[in-house]
Amino acid sequence: MTAQILDGIVFGLQLGLLASGLTLVYGLGGVLNLAYGQMAVISAMVVLFAMDAGISLWPAVGLGLLAGGLLGLFLDLTILRPVYRLRGEARVLLSLLLTLGVAFIVDGFLNWRFPLNSLSLHVGGGAVEIFGVPMRRGSLVASAITLVAFAALFVFFRYTTLGRAVRSVIEDEEGARLVGIDPRRMLRLILVLSGVLAAVVAMTRSMVAPVDVQSGFSITVFALIVTVVGGLGSVPGALLAGVILGIVNSIAATHIGTFLSLIILLGAAAVTILIRPSGLLGVKE
Amino acid sequence: MLEVSSYSAGYQGNDVVHDVSFHVDVGEAVMIIGSNGAGKTTLFRSICGLQPKTSGEVLFQEEDIAGMPAQRIVRRGLGFVPAERHLFPRMTVQEHLSLGAYPKRPDPETMSIVLDLFPRLAERQRQHAGTMSGGEQQMLAVGRALMSRPRLLVLDEPTTGLAPKLAREAYEALGVLRNQGLTVLVAEQQVPLAMAFSDRGYVLENGLIRLEGTSAELAENPDVRRAYLGVT
Amino acid sequence: MSDRGDRFTRATGTSVIGGAEEHQSRSLRSLLVPIALVAVALALVPLWLGDSGVMMGVAVLGLTFACYAVGFNVIFGSTGQLFLCVGALAGIGGYGGAVLADTVGLPIILSILLATLAASLTGGLLSWVAVRRSLGVIFTGIVTLIFALSFENLLLGLGEVTGGDAGFVIQSGADTFLRENIPPYYLMLAVVVLFLGVYGLLRRSHFGWAFRALRDDEVAAELAGVDVARYRVYAALIGSAMLGMAGATYAFTEGRISPTTFGFAEVDVVVIVMLAFGGIGTLLGPILGAVTFTIVDEVLIEFGQLKLVVYGTLVVLLFLFLPRGVIPTLGSFFEKRRDRPEENRAPTPEA
Repeated sequence: MTAQILDGIVFGLQLGLLASGLTLVYGLGGVLNLAYGQMAVISAMVVLFAMDAGISLWPAVGLGLLAGGLLGLFLDLTILRPVYRLRGEARVLLSLLLTLGVAFIVDGFLNWRFPLNSLSLHVGGGAVEIFGVPMRRGSLVASAITLVAFAALFVFFRYTTLGRAVRSVIEDEEGARLVGIDPRRMLRLILVLSGVLAAVVAMTRSMVAPVDVQSGFSITVFALIVTVVGGLGSVPGALLAGVILGIVNSIAATHIGTFLSLIILLGAAAVTILIRPSGLLGVKE
Repeated sequence: MLEVSSYSAGYQGNDVVHDVSFHVDVGEAVMIIGSNGAGKTTLFRSICGLQPKTSGEVLFQEEDIAGMPAQRIVRRGLGFVPAERHLFPRMTVQEHLSLGAYPKRPDPETMSIVLDLFPRLAERQRQHAGTMSGGEQQMLAVGRALMSRPRLLVLDEPTTGLAPKLAREAYEALGVLRNQGLTVLVAEQQVPLAMAFSDRGYVLENGLIRLEGTSAELAENPDVRRAYLGVT
Repeated sequence: MSDRGDRFTRATGTSVIGGAEEHQSRSLRSLLVPIALVAVALALVPLWLGDSGVMMGVAVLGLTFACYAVGFNVIFGSTGQLFLCVGALAGIGGYGGAVLADTVGLPIILSILLATLAASLTGGLLSWVAVRRSLGVIFTGIVTLIFALSFENLLLGLGEVTGGDAGFVIQSGADTFLRENIPPYYLMLAVVVLFLGVYGLLRRSHFGWAFRALRDDEVAAELAGVDVARYRVYAALIGSAMLGMAGATYAFTEGRISPTTFGFAEVDVVVIVMLAFGGIGTLLGPILGAVTFTIVDEVLIEFGQLKLVVYGTLVVLLFLFLPRGVIPTLGSFFEKRRDRPEENRAPTPEA
């Protein structure tokens, strides 16, 4: 049981960081990015190809992060332009459809051209015992990096002017404009950030299990579930929901299999929408 | 400082404000009074860049800002406190005031001026805006707008929902700011307070300017007295 | 709101769907004639493809998708409920019918009817829940998507009952006309015509009036006495019944179904593209969309995964440039043509 909980926490932290990207973009811009999973996959592939080409680990990682950020920027400058002219529900709907289309384009292309590729970052060294359970070093390093990323996000949003500016747009877009903040620019920043987060998660995940080219949509679905449960626009919510759902998933998968445990996670998201649409820590409307 | 000419604005082809012209000179306090639905909010929101205009010109410090988005107007020295205030519910008083100075870092001197002006805010620096009372929120909204040291402060019905005592305090604070050189444009339904505070005023009805004059002149006007001062 | 905003919200029914239904006449002829023409045209297909079992299979699948599109049109086109579980509802029909016929041993027709009922009730339940909880378009979409994904996983997880990802081979009806080349096509065609008829009649009935009212302005509709909740659920019940019946009928003609037969990517996405292309809220939009994309799909079959790229590109282009679909866009185009000569006439004397 302890092993499952620890595994669940490892998985959950990553879910949380993954969902943070998606939830910020939705909370700030009212945009649902269904191509999110593909952003993670592309970043992973960039790292893979870089390393195959002989580039060493750290620069390859840097390229992966850069790729993630650039993808976010690309989305903002192209597909999302028409989306920004809309407001409210129409905006979410169009963003959903257009990013879905992009997701198909990317997914189809990658699966056609590089069908069997997957990224695995091996972390050397033996197992480490935590609470009596031998944990792979890869899992521990991945979790450590994820926690550092969360800490960085925390500092950014709490203590920097830019971070506060971003939060203010999530809180009240008009209010933000009244203090001179351009919501559009903040959204661009957050899209780039979400791309970088997707890249980080893809790379840390690959330390635990291979990230393959087909996982795009399932990554997006997981991110969406955690985003909904955690609360749209809330990073702490994403973290909390991620860890909880990670543990639930881990325990359930051992007892009832992967397919049915996914139903439990999906069910959690559905229940959240029906009972408390603002999620665990989202803004109550 | 502010010159609005032939300005019209509204929603999707239906103008709420028609061909309005008025001006505010440096150092003045000007009020725009009118009942509910007269178009004050549309006028202000539109001039300050939160809503589009239909036609007209707005010269702020010689520059035409009509049609410019709010975030750019605000950086040019115009502070706007809208009727809905638009505060950030989960952010603290301190964070609001810090952000008020965006993109610059908050100036400690300005911060202390604002906190002196609104002692209640000073007491509640760590409190979240969402948990504050109406009066405190209003103060915060004004304080936030002041942090960028605007030359012109525009307020839309600052006393709505405030108890009379608080409303008076609000105008007292504005009075202090005026003495320090701030130019103020205020839209009000609670006319007596605004009249005591302002030098000049305009009466807006159904989107048109019906009357203008000094506060004294308007106070004498029988129509104004009947409609807005409750004198029969 | 910008013009594009208007066009888009109108096209997708988040506030108003206009244009497509403005020129609807009430005569039965204007309903029967297009349907009859379509029926006749489609009835001729076997003359040309009838020899190839494979091609007829594709044609039957195309008609099945046309049925799905009509069902989705009833649910989304009429009342703006974004049901992203078209495949799952059809799957309840398909798997339900298969299990009832093979495992439980019921006659095929009864199996189809019961499965249709199950799908209908499920859709109605989803709609009722969405209405009770006042879920907007997006959350309805997410909840129904969750249902669709859950259903797919359920099929995969309950292998003993459903055959898991290996699929379910349906013995019932194996030696009947259902498995031949041509009769299933006409069976499906009959179903399509039936559905078109139902849709057309719905539109002309007080249902149709209620649907239009609640789509245009919910608040006004409520004030006018339209019980929005009830009509939404009605639309869902009817549309879901269509989806279930189509899925069940298709299952028996194919003889073999698997979770991917009714998956989100395989069904929902395609149906949305078909309907968006043809025209949401129109009578023949589903047919145009289904025919077009069945052909496109066949043409692209050699490209394997690249097919997804083409679909993705089409989704993007479609929702950027033709959000109302081909039929309404063509409709307005011809309208403008027709109206233009009048602009050049001399002004009337009263001015």
